[in-house]
Amino acid sequence: MFFEKDKETIPLEKLRALQEEKLRRTLKIASRSEYYKRIFKEYGLKPEIKSIRDIEKFPFTTKEDLRKSYPAGMVAVPFEDLIRMHASSGTTGKSTLVFHTKSDIEDWAILVARGLYAVGVRKTDVFQNMMSYGLFTGGLGLHYGAEKLGALVVPAGSGNTQKQIELLLDLKTTVIHITPSYLFYLGHIIEEEKIPLSRFSLKIAIVGAEPHSEETRRKLEKMFKIKVFNCYGLSEMNGPGVAFECEYQKGLHLWEDHYYAEIIDPETGKVLPEGEEGELVLTTLEREGMPVIRYRTRDITRFIKGRCPCGRTHRRIARMKGRTDDMFIVKGVNIFPSQIETVLMQTPEVDKNYRIIIERYEGMDNLTVEVEIKKECFDGEISHLKAIQERLVASLKDVILVTPEVRLVEPGSLPSSTGKAQRIIDKRRL
Amino acid sequence: MGKQLSIFVENKPGKINKITGILEKEKINLKAMTIADSGTFGIVKIITDNNRKAFDILKRANFLVSLQDVVVVEIPDKVGAFHKVAKILEDEKINIEDAYGFIIEEGEKAALILKVPETEKVEKILKKQGYKLIENF
Repeated sequence: MFFEKDKETIPLEKLRALQEEKLRRTLKIASRSEYYKRIFKEYGLKPEIKSIRDIEKFPFTTKEDLRKSYPAGMVAVPFEDLIRMHASSGTTGKSTLVFHTKSDIEDWAILVARGLYAVGVRKTDVFQNMMSYGLFTGGLGLHYGAEKLGALVVPAGSGNTQKQIELLLDLKTTVIHITPSYLFYLGHIIEEEKIPLSRFSLKIAIVGAEPHSEETRRKLEKMFKIKVFNCYGLSEMNGPGVAFECEYQKGLHLWEDHYYAEIIDPETGKVLPEGEEGELVLTTLEREGMPVIRYRTRDITRFIKGRCPCGRTHRRIARMKGRTDDMFIVKGVNIFPSQIETVLMQTPEVDKNYRIIIERYEGMDNLTVEVEIKKECFDGEISHLKAIQERLVASLKDVILVTPEVRLVEPGSLPSSTGKAQRIIDKRRL
Repeated sequence: MGKQLSIFVENKPGKINKITGILEKEKINLKAMTIADSGTFGIVKIITDNNRKAFDILKRANFLVSLQDVVVVEIPDKVGAFHKVAKILEDEKINIEDAYGFIIEEGEKAALILKVPETEKVEKILKKQGYKLIENF
């Protein structure tokens, strides 16, 4: 059950040899860009390697480097060979641009198609793409992949929930691509309007663009009675489709014939032994328009050991634990929002929206988690609310090792969004 | 049986005002209110002249609200009237979880609202003693 059987099940030795060969080519192409020409010279490096591990001699490329080479300092081909540009959301400072040639776009579509196929999407499916189109890669990335597969693609974009529901029902949509927070919202609206789930033909949801926990996935699967799959990507590496879960939902296969992946210690930059958790660093192996060498993704993950029963040889990475820049330190302890989310999702009385606020009073860090109580769980008894509150404090402390303050807030007062939800507010002046 | 509305509110300025504003707009008469506070949040308990309507409206306005059974009993507005009721309940070994009240007619009649574990049982006891119960749902 593969989109490209030979490539997806390639024996590991062959895959490593292929990576080496592709890296040589990539370094050559990269050295034609203004940025890498300068960097290679600065570091006294030739765009050559003896073995794949020689990649560790090359410096990392960061988001900041991309920003500094705005708009097109990393482009390695004549401008006329480019056919597409995408930009990252750019929450801080100027957004970063990524340019693609025709074959880059074609490759991207294939990688997405591989992933879609792996989770069970076929040409008979109706694929409603509920991610925003435009500069953001979530829309067009999956769009092209699903078309490549031959599914009927409905480019619905994000938002406009009533129209989405209408399309889901009328077109008998079987597969959707959506952010986890929007999927929750959609479920909430469907429930509120009392539309029976049996009227939908939905089987699969592909969720991405926001880090989310395994519990969130399970909740969404239960809510809609469908399978929910995780998809990973970032605009600097094309966008969604860098890694994709398969039917087994045990980690995401990273397409190693297109990306060389390293896991590093974010503090020291040293490559970590396989299986250890650290920051994912990626090098494009097939890209022509804008190769990127050793890109610091800021995403925290690890390689999952062992072969996946699905037969794909490309190694799996674990669900993203968070981002190095999402991680916050409270009272000297490293905390990821995903750890907090996991606890909240295991608490039945708590609704899906939450907010984490970090403050500092007189030199002391204070962590507050704001949650909404589900309407159906409210019986008017203050003692019951207090018990929920105390239970949350205790179970959060077990996981994050810091005692948080848990604040119950009124329903609808926490942000829920159709895009990326802002869940952490750090008010400390560090 | 008597009813009261319990509403979840955050402990912030303007929260009570929001509730009373909604009731005023819908021409619902607020008879009594009491607040149980727990730090950053509290429960506002109210009795109105139309609890069903108030419940629906507050729910629609996205409040966490619940209807609770309470005993609403009419007592004379005079010294010792509450004590008499409390004594009856003590004799029956019934614990009063919460109590508040409002005047119906100055110097004549008042309403006493009691939150007890077994509302029906208490209603029966008080009825037997000749008290008038107010059904306000």
